[in-house]
This record gives sequence, C-alpha cells and structure tokens, in this order.
Amino acid sequence: MSSNFNITDQQRDYSKYGLSGNPFPYSPVPAENPEIFCGQSHVSEKISSTVSTVLSTGKSKHLVVTGKYGNGKSHTLKYTRSLLRDHDDVIVGYVAQPGEGFLDIYHEFVYDLGFSHLQNLSYEYLASITRECTDESPEGAAEMRSLIDEGDVLLPEIIPEAIRELSDITKFADFARAIVHMIYEDTNLYAWQWLTAEGIRYEQRKEMEIHSALDDDTMGVRAFTALKNMLLDLGYTAVFVFVDEFESIARLSPKYEQATLNSVRHLMDQNSSGLCLLFGCAPEVWQDVMSEYHAFSERIGQEVTLKPLTSDHLYNLIHDYLALERLSAEEETDLRPFTEESLNVILQRSQGNVRQILALCSRLLDDAVDADYDVISTEVVEEAF
Amino acid sequence: MLYRRRTIDLPHGKLNTPVFFPVRNIGKRSSDNTPSYVGSIPDLPVAMINTRAIRNRTPMWDRLLNGVTLREEMGVPEDTIVFADSGGFDFSSGEVDTTPKKTLEAQRQLDADIYGTVDVPLSREKRAAENQRRVNQSIEYALEASDQHSGEALLFASVHGYDPETVRNCIAHLEKFGDFDGYALGSMVPIRSDYKKVTKLILSARTATDKHLHVYGLGGLVYQPLLLYLGVDSFDSSAFIRGAGNRNYLIPGFGGEELQDIEQLERLPCPCPVCGTRTLDDIREDRSALVQHNLWALATELRRFQYVAESGRNIEDYLDLRFQGNEVTSRAYQTAKQQVRRLT
Ligand SMILES: [Zn+2]
Repeated sequence: MSSNFNITDQQRDYSKYGLSGNPFPYSPVPAENPEIFCGQSHVSEKISSTVSTVLSTGKSKHLVVTGKYGNGKSHTLKYTRSLLRDHDDVIVGYVAQPGEGFLDIYHEFVYDLGFSHLQNLSYEYLASITRECTDESPEGAAEMRSLIDEGDVLLPEIIPEAIRELSDITKFADFARAIVHMIYEDTNLYAWQWLTAEGIRYEQRKEMEIHSALDDDTMGVRAFTALKNMLLDLGYTAVFVFVDEFESIARLSPKYEQATLNSVRHLMDQNSSGLCLLFGCAPEVWQDVMSEYHAFSERIGQEVTLKPLTSDHLYNLIHDYLALERLSAEEETDLRPFTEESLNVILQRSQGNVRQILALCSRLLDDAVDADYDVISTEVVEEAF
Repeated sequence: MLYRRRTIDLPHGKLNTPVFFPVRNIGKRSSDNTPSYVGSIPDLPVAMINTRAIRNRTPMWDRLLNGVTLREEMGVPEDTIVFADSGGFDFSSGEVDTTPKKTLEAQRQLDADIYGTVDVPLSREKRAAENQRRVNQSIEYALEASDQHSGEALLFASVHGYDPETVRNCIAHLEKFGDFDGYALGSMVPIRSDYKKVTKLILSARTATDKHLHVYGLGGLVYQPLLLYLGVDSFDSSAFIRGAGNRNYLIPGFGGEELQDIEQLERLPCPCPVCGTRTLDDIREDRSALVQHNLWALATELRRFQYVAESGRNIEDYLDLRFQGNEVTSRAYQTAKQQVRRLT
C-alpha cells in the first residue's frame, strides 16, 4: 500500500468475494440499534418470554443476563432495546453501568430518554389534561404543542389542573411541577437538570416552586416511580430499564453496594406493575449478590447466561453477517473470503469477544480487497494482530 | 430590525408611532396636577389616564356626566389623544371592583381613543398558581370586553405573563377568540430590574402579533431605546412626575440626576424650552418646570432614536454607545441584540 493518502468516494469492489459490500460494522462499539442478534437462542428465548409477559400482563418482571466479558451482554441488551423501541406503548432506557448507586441509574435512565423525549411526554400529559377539561382533543405531543402555539388552548387554564392531577397520580408534587416546566423555555433546562438529578441551585428550584432536592437514592426511587406512574396513566404498558455492567457495583464499598441493591429492591417493591428491569452482569458478581443479598435476588429470580463463543457460533455469526451482502443465494453457506482456519485464529486471539471480532473482520475484509487477496488466510490474520 | 413607524387613525386624530404616553394623574388626587405639555411638546399630543381613578372620583365623574369633557377637565385641547387603561394596577393588592362592561362604559364616557381591557396584574411574590389564575382572569376580561366593544375606539387587550410561552399563548388565544386592535403587555414593572426577562417577554409578544404593541409602565429613559429597538409601538410612564417629586432631573444618556447633588452649576445641560433660559436654582424650586423638562428629555430620547433610524445610521452601533456606560443595561441590550438578530 502506498504511504500517500488516497481519499476517494469510489466504493471498494467486493464482488470478488461474492459480496456487494462490507457487512461488518466499522465502529468497534456495539451498534446503538444492532440488526443482527449474535447471541444464543436460549438467551433470546428467555428475554422474549420475560418481555412478552410484561407486555401482555402489565405485571412487572425482571431478568439478569450473565456472561463473561465480551460474550455479548451489551449487544444483547441493545438488541432487545432496539426491538422494544418499535413498540410505541413502552418506554425503554439503557444504563451503561450503575455508577455509584441508584441515583446514577436513575440519572442515566432519564438521560437516555433524552430531553426532547421527556419534553414530549410533558406535552403528552398536557394533551390528556386538555382532553379532560376543554373541548379540544389533541392526540399527542405535536398536536398539543400546536394548540398552545395557535392559542386554541390557554396555558393558564390547563397548567394548574395539570400540576394538580399529576401530583395526585405521582404523589410527588415537585416532580409534577418539574414535568410541567419542561414546556417553558425559561425553565426547561432547570427542570431537566432537576429531573435528571443533576442538581440545580436553590433559586432555580424556587422559580419552579420545587421544594425538594433530588439528590439521594430514596428520592431517585421516588422520582422513578413517579415517572413510571405518569407513563402508565398516559396509557403506556411498561417501562423497561436495561442496566448494563451491573458487576461494577462490586467496586463500591460494601455499604454503598448494599444501599444500591436495597434501592433497586425498593424500586421493584414499589412497582409491582409496568416495570421490567434487565441487568447485564458478570457471573461471579451475580453469584455473590445471589448468596449475600437474598432479598434482592429473590425478587429477580430469573437468570440466563451467555456462553463463550464457540467456533460454531463464530462461523454462524460470520455467515449471518456475510449473508447481509451476498450477491447470490447459492453462496449463502459460504464463509468466503474467510476460512475456518483463519476464523479460528480470530476466535483465539480475540478471546471470543464479539465486539473485537466484528471490528477485525470489517478491517480484514477491506484490506483483502485493497491487496487483492484470494482468501483471508491465517497468515493475513496473524499479521493484523 | 424590529423598530417600526406607523400611523394609526384614532377618533381624535392621526397618531404617529412609536409614541410615548405620559401618565396623567387626573382622578388620583384632588385634581390633575400634571403641568401642561400637550401643544408645547408637539410630538406628545397624547395622555394615558386611569379609568378607574376617574370613575371613582365622584365630583369629577358627576361633572363628566353633566357635559364637561374629559379634555376640559384636564385642560388640554379637544384633539388630544387619550389612552384610557382600566386602572388594573390598583387591583394588584385589592379586589377587582369593576366588570369589563362597566369599565368599557366609563372609557366610552371619557371619549378615549384607546381602551385598555380590565386586567389583574401579576405579583412577583405570589405563588405561581395564583399568578396563573390572574393571567386567566385577565384573558377572560379581555374576551368579555371584545364582545361588548362596538368599535368606536381602539381596544387593546391587556396581557400578562412571566414567561414567553404564556405571553405568546395568551396573544394567540385572544387573536383567535376575540377582536382587538392591539395588545398591551402588563406586569413588567415588578420585574423591571430583570432586563433580560423583560426583553424576552416583550420579544415574545412582538413575535406573536403584528398588531399594535403597547408596554405598560416602562417608558422611562433607560427602557425607551430598548423598547424602540424591540419594535414596541407605544409605551407609557409616570416616571417623569414621580422623578420630579424626588427632584430627579432626567438627562438622555445619563438617566436621572439628583438635583441636590449639584451645587455650583448655574445652568443645566439641556436646551429645552424649560431649561434653556432658566438657572438651576430656578428649576430646582419649580416642580412643574422639572416635570416639563423631564417630558422634554423623554421626547428628546425618542427623537434621537428616530433621527438615527431615519438618517440610515446603524441603530445597533448607536445603542452600543448608548448603553456602554452601565453594565446591567449593557448586558441586557447585548442579550436583546442576539435575540433580535435571530428574528430578523
Ligand atoms: Zn430641559
């Protein structure tokens, strides 16, 4: 290869390998919305059954997905999230890791929902109030927004009612005020900061007439429960919280670890309906939790384990990816340009880490095209490490 | 640029805007002790009066019912243009003692050119829920006035709100369900020192309607150029009278100067018909002269702004200069500038 830059918008030609393009993700991090589930069928079945139970009964159910590092826990959670996002009657939030305690989980969850989503929920809530106490019948957030902009609905008429009813539903008047303030341009950033538990100054709270600070695990559980109750009132079936890398609670001091687990337990106890917690956790940490914190593990009960990738898994995975870009159906069983031998080297060197495997395959395939190799041999793979 | 000039047809004549309405205190004490300015300051053929105060001053009200005109009572020419607000500011602490219908009848009896609807001003301290109730009440009053109004004079709906959404939403609502010739933004006085907030609220009103926009109570020297820059069509103030009571002498570009602080000067730095030929001591002793000068100062401020705009000079450069002396107002103006630039 030349040491000079050769920047071009010309697509590489993969037809040599019977492919129309490179099917592997370039980015080494799990795709936000993965298309292929590289996990294992016993896992996908267990998750499906848990999620389906929550969706069909509205009752809360929780699950732990265990598996060693690199076995695809994050991918599994993200894949499940992307499937759930197609349902418009559920809310899904992904928490990359539990941080220092439940307040961090709560923070990450709301943060993952995002500012505009939360603002839309605020408009959605106003829409439900508007249907109740005016002649207008807005369907959703966008329609509500335009009714306000056009002046069809008078804000000072619906806002006090909205705060009253939401306080009733959530038993948390400060939360109700914060939600409503999400629609005011002067205060929506403060409201967002309060709702995400980032903390705001006393004067900013005062401007929204919010009396409490959302700054400990107890308040976090209370705020989360309030949010969930609001969502159920709006007609959502359930709230899904995916907590990845749950094993990192083992880093906390025993006191904080216990406090975190207790808060999650309280959350489960206070939300017997409409809540699904899905944890990704390293097996050894989960075993400790199971043996040391019965109150917690009893409430989750279910566990499913991702096994290390075997070479058969790997062939299937690579095959599934290549099939995405195969030019002809006959070649669909092919691993070309990879060979089983080269894939075995990849498996060995990456220690079964799916993330690494995919990034490496992507790079190897491009390099092979550029160098005009017939196959990606074990030597080529060796060189790449 | 949001600054604009218009001419409006009113029952007592044509009015060029932007314009400043001096607040008259007629009805407030024993009589109207505002010194004469209509005629002597040609660009101020106008007055803002308080309907409620006049209506509640029984002897005066009886005279008005018996054929004396308001303008006679005020000692101004019959073609003086009068904006009669409802006197809502007096309700901020007490109960509302009128109805839109009664107020409209009184405004008609006063032969006013512009009627402001009955309103309940907001309090800075009151709970948000209470202020929401007040905003709502003012909107109801305005819509009622719209129903009762027969169109002999202009009707301005009084609008209140401490956040941009409420102001926009209220104006859009009134536009949809009522019939108004313009809007008058109230409750700015309690938050007047929060320039940034006031500016935002005015801009939200300005962008919500193309109709005439009046701002109640903010027509002092410092706010005037800001209001003009923000495209406000008219404003009012009683600062010139209240200021004179404290021996405050308004100087464009300097704000107010306390006369007791100056000792050695013989003549004041103003060429107006009041100050141009008289000595400092003379003016210091004469409250009426001080009030008249203060009105000249406000008129001069407006004239200067118009001159800058008409001569094609850059208004923002002028205002940069104008506000550079005071950190607070300068910051407010910079914020306003950013917001205006986003709109134009
Ligand atoms: Zn003068």
